[in-house]
Amino acid sequence: MSTVSQFALLFIGGALINNILLTRFIGLCPFFGVSGNMETSMGMSFAVVFVMMMASTATWVVWEFVLAPLGVGEFLYIPAFILIIASLVQFVEMYLRKASPVLYRAMGIFLPLITTNCAVLATATESAKPGFFKLNIAVGASLSLGQALIYTLGVSVGFGFALITFAALRERLELAGVPRLFKGTPIAFITAGLLSLAYVGFSGWFGL
Amino acid sequence: MAEWFRTFRQGIAIENPLTVLMIGLCATLAVSTQLKNAVFMGLAVVFVITMSNVLVSVFRKHIPSEVRIPIFIVVIASFVTIVDLVMKAFVPSVYQVLGIWIPLIVVNCMILGRAEAFAYNNRPLLSIADGMGMGTGFWLVMVILAAIRELFGTGKIVWFGSTLIALPSGYEPPSLLLLFPGAFLVFGFMIAGSRWLNERSQARAEARACRR
Repeated sequence: MSTVSQFALLFIGGALINNILLTRFIGLCPFFGVSGNMETSMGMSFAVVFVMMMASTATWVVWEFVLAPLGVGEFLYIPAFILIIASLVQFVEMYLRKASPVLYRAMGIFLPLITTNCAVLATATESAKPGFFKLNIAVGASLSLGQALIYTLGVSVGFGFALITFAALRERLELAGVPRLFKGTPIAFITAGLLSLAYVGFSGWFGL
Repeated sequence: MAEWFRTFRQGIAIENPLTVLMIGLCATLAVSTQLKNAVFMGLAVVFVITMSNVLVSVFRKHIPSEVRIPIFIVVIASFVTIVDLVMKAFVPSVYQVLGIWIPLIVVNCMILGRAEAFAYNNRPLLSIADGMGMGTGFWLVMVILAAIRELFGTGKIVWFGSTLIALPSGYEPPSLLLLFPGAFLVFGFMIAGSRWLNERSQARAEARACRR
């Protein structure tokens, strides 16, 4: 398989076929937490793209040059990755506050939230130590740094796309007449179910 | 002792992490395609939340509040690693299916949330009650969701190769329930149902208070 088509496959596979929110159920807390408002979900989406890219780079480097050569990856990867992500987010937050107040105001409040977002840990783990999402069918046992970054970009764009679509649906839902017991979250779940029904259509593309 | 049971019961019903507080959703929806997986996932979560609550609560006076979050995460991550390795060794077939969800217990907001909101301010014994109550509440909802999805999605419930319950043979299972939309739909109805139950028990408690 040529490199370009492999990259395209990784991107589409991450964004649509294995959409992390609607087909993998990863990162649902912000999906239901911040989707009540269009503006916050936009901010959240950009923050997620930003943090995921950095987290994947960091975990990939640490896995490739520290954990795997030392042979301790199998049992140290969970604490190592989560600590890397948590401290990375902390540094990014401090740096942004000092260097770019505009950017900080746009996504500052979301950064601490993202630390414990399972989507970031899942994507970073998958980039560094593939095998959980059956990606290896497409690319082989491990990803190069370029492949890992393209995959992460796909996943985070898919995350943002699903989040923004859902926020738009929920804003409209505010005006709808809903039975009393279903108001708020229950109807949001049912709406999410219908939205994810659309993503069933993507499953099976390219054998992913 | 009465306080212990009250804390325990609170986690199961009034403050149920899944249907009322809405935390720790991801794992529940993803794993609940089969009763077997849900049972083991739930046990893993009960173990991790109870142990991390105990450890955090025992050392609560020695953990400086500025760095408490990283410390909680490391504590939780160590217990998750134990679960990860134990499951890989003893129930490999379940481990294969659960896959990424075992490492993801670390970032299950429910566990970090209970360490922060409860164990950090309470005695170890009460923290055990809280951890077990919250864990059991989580486990119950997940098992019910999985039972509904497996029974109506495949027509039978299978436990390590043997069939527990089977619907009559004329039943044609809608595979929608097993696919990802099914989880959202069934769970939406379950929240509405638990709301109805909570409202009803509240109304009953009020009626009892009026009669006195």
